Amino acid sequence: MGTFPFQWPMDPASSAGIDASFLPSLLPPPAAPAAGSDDSVSYYGAPQMHPASLPDLAAPFPSRDAAADLAMRRAEEEVAGIRLVHLLMSCAGAVEAGDHALASAQLADANASLAALSTASGIGRVAVHFTDALSRRLFFSPTSTPQPPAAATDAAFLYHHFYEACPYLKFAHFTANQAILEAFHGCDAVHVVDFSIMQGLQWPALIQALALRPGGPPFLRITGIGPPSPPGRDDLRDVGLRLADLARSVRVRFSFRGVAANTLDEVQPWMLQVSPGEAVAVNSVLQLHRLLADHHHHAPIDAVLDCVASLNPKILTVVEQEADHNKPGFLDRFTEALFYYSAVFDSLDASGTASPMAEAYLQREICDIVCNDGPARAERHEPLSRWRDRLARAGLTAVPLGPSALRQARMLVGLASGEGHSVEEADGCLTLGWHGRPLFSASAWQASPAVAVDGEEDNPHNSNTSNVSSSGGDSNNSAGSSSNGKSRSSGVVGAAGNMFL
Amino acid sequence: MCMGGPPALPRQEENEAVLEVRVQLLGGGGAHNINDNADILSEILARLDGRSLAAAAGVCRLWAAVSRRDAVWEELCLRHVGPASGPAAAGHATRTVVAALGGYRRLYRLCLGPALDRLGRAGALAHAQARERLSLSLSLSLFSIDCYERLGGAGGGGAGAGRQQPPSSLLFLCKPVDVS
Repeated sequence: MGTFPFQWPMDPASSAGIDASFLPSLLPPPAAPAAGSDDSVSYYGAPQMHPASLPDLAAPFPSRDAAADLAMRRAEEEVAGIRLVHLLMSCAGAVEAGDHALASAQLADANASLAALSTASGIGRVAVHFTDALSRRLFFSPTSTPQPPAAATDAAFLYHHFYEACPYLKFAHFTANQAILEAFHGCDAVHVVDFSIMQGLQWPALIQALALRPGGPPFLRITGIGPPSPPGRDDLRDVGLRLADLARSVRVRFSFRGVAANTLDEVQPWMLQVSPGEAVAVNSVLQLHRLLADHHHHAPIDAVLDCVASLNPKILTVVEQEADHNKPGFLDRFTEALFYYSAVFDSLDASGTASPMAEAYLQREICDIVCNDGPARAERHEPLSRWRDRLARAGLTAVPLGPSALRQARMLVGLASGEGHSVEEADGCLTLGWHGRPLFSASAWQASPAVAVDGEEDNPHNSNTSNVSSSGGDSNNSAGSSSNGKSRSSGVVGAAGNMFL
Repeated sequence: MCMGGPPALPRQEENEAVLEVRVQLLGGGGAHNINDNADILSEILARLDGRSLAAAAGVCRLWAAVSRRDAVWEELCLRHVGPASGPAAAGHATRTVVAALGGYRRLYRLCLGPALDRLGRAGALAHAQARERLSLSLSLSLFSIDCYERLGGAGGGGAGAGRQQPPSSLLFLCKPVDVS
């Protein structure tokens, strides 16, 4: 129907190379197109879209029926859309083969096709970004002038809009929080390391949930990693202050530490200052894929995962895009990305309100995937199956996410979006998808039991627990209120909001 | 006075007492009046649905004062998404946290109300069903994010380049979407 513009008809003529039904529900990308080895310079095995081969859409008589008009227009758009996609993929094939001339020609055709399409919705909306990205790649040398790195403030601004416009980041935050909350059960000193703190939007909900947990809140520390701020500002500190404010108001003893780093591999374990006896959670939302690299380059991912394992975390929460945008071949990557972002844009479309900022957020990713190569490319999304292997190799075992997380995710997604989105559970991981196409996956991990980095950590922890719960007169407890330890409130509030960088 | 909510500001109590007296004086002698006692009125208003309760604030100043009591909104909220065993089970801790985040009235206005509307037919939606589509813990989580945003500029930096945005993380609840 109107909300699902990608139901292009199966065109029997285009059976070669690409499946014309670009339904986002079609999970695997189309079969690799036939390498163009024939003289007719076609790097991509799509049928030649001669005007004559297009179905004759002009009605013999001008139709007076508005519905028929609309249907006709829609059919025209569909055909134009298919043609545009074929052109883009042709162009990408030419780029992969290094044929600049053909690629430019295809790109010009694509731009012309775009003009005929509405770019406000449907395939046009996402195609315009891919077309722009291809232009950028063709007409600026891809390796020497990569897309200028996003200013941190711009990135944060767009991130916030993306957070609001669609449920993906909310799903990430809420699911990770649920896993962290469960992992912290029974712990009195907890430490969360956030690989990308941004505005700290994930943490108010965790602070509130800890405040209300039976037995009272633990002492919570958050270490937020983020890019260095421009001179004159201290974004990490600002976020820390706001989180401390919130924690103070709900009476959770809290302290925040910011770690400024441009990339995660700059962060060493000692910077995180993990205290003995505290339970550690490491949270990575859309960060791990940035640490991957091409085969012949050294990938920082292993070092970072080792660092994580060395912290002996109670839980590592990982949310990643469910797509394979790290394929070595450009055309493969391009095709995969086209499918993926079509689904994402479709879901944005269906949400009703336009969100240009959310689109701009996605457009950056698209540009990076299409234009950048080698060390410049950061958006190296890989599917969950690959992450499982990688994390297992790093010595981590999967922690199933549990029914509460699934229930909460479904509730949240049900609220945030009417129809189309769905949360699926598989092997203890949750994926959020649009019309059957998985888009984001969430999973949780812990250090394998065999890897006991610091065997003594458990003992002080246990005695800590038993100390506090049994005695009412502990120095930590204020006013020796109730032995059920429910309200470790008033006296210690002054210590909340402690913050140091 | 047994009030479930956080201790009312002395001013509010005084205000209500004054209004009570005025109403009694104006109402003349005779039969009991719903407005005779603010606490009884509060009990009654606490049984209304969200829209009616909001409308009740416009009836007269006494009703406006009473319907501003957070306890009244607490009853309403917990009736919809509170623990199945009943509002009392939510406990003092929840009340403290909700008060710190902005109060039940605000929770309803910003979060529960729009969510229940969105889930359809807030009044008609059976309580059991509502609990399956929306839980108190989820509502509180969303509410805490809103509270956090209100603490100051969520646009990627507090002071400095003013990309201050009004708190908007709950706006998604108000967007018209077909939830069928």
